[in-house]
Amino acid sequence: MNFLFRRKRIGGLLTVVPANEGSFLEEMRRFNFPLNRSLKLKEVMGYDKHRLAQDGLCVSDLAVYGLQHLFAQGRLAREDIDALVLVTQSPDHLMPPTSSIIQGRLGLKQDMLCLDINQGCAGFVVGLIEAFLLLEQPSIRKVILINADVLSRKTSPKDRNSFPLIGDAASITVVERDTEDSVIHANLKMDGTRNEALMIPAGGLRMPSTAATAVLEDVGDNNLRAKDHLRMDGSAVFNFVQTEVPPMIERLLATAEVPMDAIDWFLFHQPNRFMLEKLADKMRVSPSKMPNNVVEHFGNSSGVTIPMAITLNLRAQMMAQKFRVCLAGFGVGLTWGSMLLSLGRLSFCESIDYPNTAEQRHDE
Amino acid sequence: MNDPMNEIYAKLAEILEVDAVAAGDVLAEFEYWDSLTVLSIIAMLDASFGVNLTAADVRRTKTAGELAAAVEERAAK
Repeated sequence: MNFLFRRKRIGGLLTVVPANEGSFLEEMRRFNFPLNRSLKLKEVMGYDKHRLAQDGLCVSDLAVYGLQHLFAQGRLAREDIDALVLVTQSPDHLMPPTSSIIQGRLGLKQDMLCLDINQGCAGFVVGLIEAFLLLEQPSIRKVILINADVLSRKTSPKDRNSFPLIGDAASITVVERDTEDSVIHANLKMDGTRNEALMIPAGGLRMPSTAATAVLEDVGDNNLRAKDHLRMDGSAVFNFVQTEVPPMIERLLATAEVPMDAIDWFLFHQPNRFMLEKLADKMRVSPSKMPNNVVEHFGNSSGVTIPMAITLNLRAQMMAQKFRVCLAGFGVGLTWGSMLLSLGRLSFCESIDYPNTAEQRHDE
Repeated sequence: MNDPMNEIYAKLAEILEVDAVAAGDVLAEFEYWDSLTVLSIIAMLDASFGVNLTAADVRRTKTAGELAAAVEERAAK
């Protein structure tokens, strides 16, 4: 389905990553694979460094740390936040909403909306759509979109299909009204018949976590994983992305009547380098316009990867000028969405580390 | 024989890191036959032949010749 928004903008972007870093070269020793094949995987997929939560780090910890940073820097005022939209698949608890926990920890006003959305790799596009919809209300002038996940905590360290690429992170996006007459096009599709392509089987109410769901099982190709762990049908996801994403972008640009070569940046979700290179080839987009280096530096942090691609590669440019950008997210659900908007002249665009020890964190 | 499908064998050899692949070669017997290889083959078939096979499709074919035939059949549709 298509969406159309007017007079809305992204005001600023902050990404927060755990300082703790994992290295594929060290981790691959615990996978039961020939060394040269692991090195091949590193080269093709772009596996290298990834940021990992430790000591029970939760989504609300990353979000609170990032928001406190923005308050301290004078980038954002507490009382200006009319809505907190959190997109996560790794909430602190099944209930209450993690957005309510964040509101409480920060002492935000009661006269506001806190909303959790269960979405993953399409979560930045879905979250922006929700934020823009909320801004249609006269009482809502500023929405804080938080994308955050600590999925490494739900991933088997002995599963080479998922662990090397997973990264933990949060992003905070200020979404507000635009005084200019901006036009934003978006589209979104969902296919729940393929809901098992990406899933954590146990831990909800259909299959509660027990001692049995924690047992590592040999799932083929020498990979070990429990039912409590994230499961990804990598090649099915690859087929899905190559089949659905290029036509989705074509429809978006056709609806907006904007030619492909008028796009400055294609800021897509970052599953791995391989998938993005193949997408760029198929869409005949110059690889220089589609960053694909988030996984090698930080890992794939589901809904956070688009903000990360921006804070990693385009920080100075996004502060200085405006660009016509095309966003796309695709993943769990299955869900795929894209958005065409003008992005730039941000009031902030940066990445900060969440320190490893409590002494280094000024909020403790 | 100047069959356009011969191109498949050359590209398979490249992915499997061997000098040459023949129609009768059993895919699963190659040293580098693993999930990364299957994914690379899926991507190659999509890019070079416009054919979108799944991992299950690829793993169902026993020999390189059967894979070439499956691609030819899809491409003809």
